[in-house]
Amino acid sequence: MIRNKARQPVVAGMHALPYSKDIGMTERHSGALAILGALDDAGLTVNDVDGICRYVWQPTTEMEMARVLGVPNLKWFGAQDYGGGAGPPTVALACAAIELGLADCVVVWRSRNRSSGGRPWAGQMLAEGQDQFERPFGIVRPADGIALLVRVWMNAWGWTREDFGRVAITVRGHANRNPAAMMHQKPLTMEDYLASRMIAEPLCLFDNCLETDGALAIVLVAAERAADLSLGAPPAYVTGYALGSGPQVYAMTNYYGEDLTRSPNAFVAPELWRNTGLKAADIDVVQIYDAFTPQVPLFFQEFGFCGDGEGAAYVASEDCLTYNTSGGGLSEAYVHGFNLIVEGVRQVRGVSTTQVDDVAHCLVTGGNVVPTGALVLSKEPW
Amino acid sequence: MSTALPPKPVADRDTQPFWDGVDAHRLLVPRCTSCGAWIWQPRPLCPRCHAPDPEWVSVGGNARIASWTALHPPVLTVWAEQVPFVVLLVELDDAPGVRMIGQLVDGDGTLLKTNGEPEGLAMGAQLALRWRVDEAGQTLPAWMLAG
Repeated sequence: MIRNKARQPVVAGMHALPYSKDIGMTERHSGALAILGALDDAGLTVNDVDGICRYVWQPTTEMEMARVLGVPNLKWFGAQDYGGGAGPPTVALACAAIELGLADCVVVWRSRNRSSGGRPWAGQMLAEGQDQFERPFGIVRPADGIALLVRVWMNAWGWTREDFGRVAITVRGHANRNPAAMMHQKPLTMEDYLASRMIAEPLCLFDNCLETDGALAIVLVAAERAADLSLGAPPAYVTGYALGSGPQVYAMTNYYGEDLTRSPNAFVAPELWRNTGLKAADIDVVQIYDAFTPQVPLFFQEFGFCGDGEGAAYVASEDCLTYNTSGGGLSEAYVHGFNLIVEGVRQVRGVSTTQVDDVAHCLVTGGNVVPTGALVLSKEPW
Repeated sequence: MSTALPPKPVADRDTQPFWDGVDAHRLLVPRCTSCGAWIWQPRPLCPRCHAPDPEWVSVGGNARIASWTALHPPVLTVWAEQVPFVVLLVELDDAPGVRMIGQLVDGDGTLLKTNGEPEGLAMGAQLALRWRVDEAGQTLPAWMLAG
């Protein structure tokens, strides 16, 4: 990789609006407030912004957001698709523009009224494209889609419901320490987990993420620009990022290729290690996309923190790296994984409510059963 | 926001033969006329050799369970009284490597109200093809446990 230190992307600002079941405003409105908050955190204004990137699923386009905010001109704009896979790829799109010198200050946001706005799966009654072979048969909710894959993983490696319960309980513990988390005051035990109702077997209620209204944003600038700013907090340097799909990929219903035990993350991981020059042992804390608990053990094995099939045993072991320190999508808030990115910045700044000591590198991932990506946020520059 | 109808399959030029086959109670799977690869889901070109116009081959429909789930609330209104029912990922005996989605039904093609623990439901279990008419009158391939 050719690296221009002056152009290294830096997260200079971040902001999260309070999470709720009903945020009381449009996603356009909450998104604008999140971006303004992140700019303020960085000591910047809308006049500094020359790029905006968003999730394809964000109903507000970059241009509409630029109008709402009064951005004078966008030199760079774009969007990344695939639901919860889009988080790190959207940040990566902004980073690539900064590294190439196409933009100096790019904002990335996700605002979503996933609670008050209803369930998107409940209103899609025409099944077109890949959906025609899935939705009429009952594979409608994201939980239905992943459940069939989870069964395959359990069968392949002997994973159990208790293995998934451990994930739910661990991240709930983090949420219990995070006053901003939706589940801050609700402890969870294995007894609670095993007694909860089924949603899409083998997944029960607590294997599923929350349904939340939330809005978050970050501001990325080039390192040479960050040096001129009087940042209120330490910068979080983007050491690298990678995207991946794998062959014959289908988002959420990745059933038709040769190997059902490989997610797109199996293709992201080697690229991320190559692009960053890092290895699993260099990572101090991870924020793993956790719309569903089984995504966590799969992450650890696909990124080489343990061997193939050993993800659940690794999660249960004392060696397991600390993950999802804000409570993640399972217990802090479900905002398509953007809270994981913001929590990654907090870990690098040293301000998490479940702070890991001396964080040099925090890895953040997108959803691993869709085309996805990952990135590494770091304390020190290249 | 929900409805008393199930999601409706919308065929396009690349998939219409499949749904025409379903209406005639024939399970048609595309196969490359050049390299012989089975193709699923349907598409206009063979992804292996890029030959156009895969042929639609009528297959027997016997299959094995590659995975399954059982659905519980909250579900679409149309299924509220029918859950739990089992949705299968099946691998076709006559089209190796082709996996498709279908519901678990009885011998008459009636959706079984059952959770994920009926006798015989297991990875690799043998299935036989049946035809189910859904709540909107749409015929769908479905499978019953065989043996």
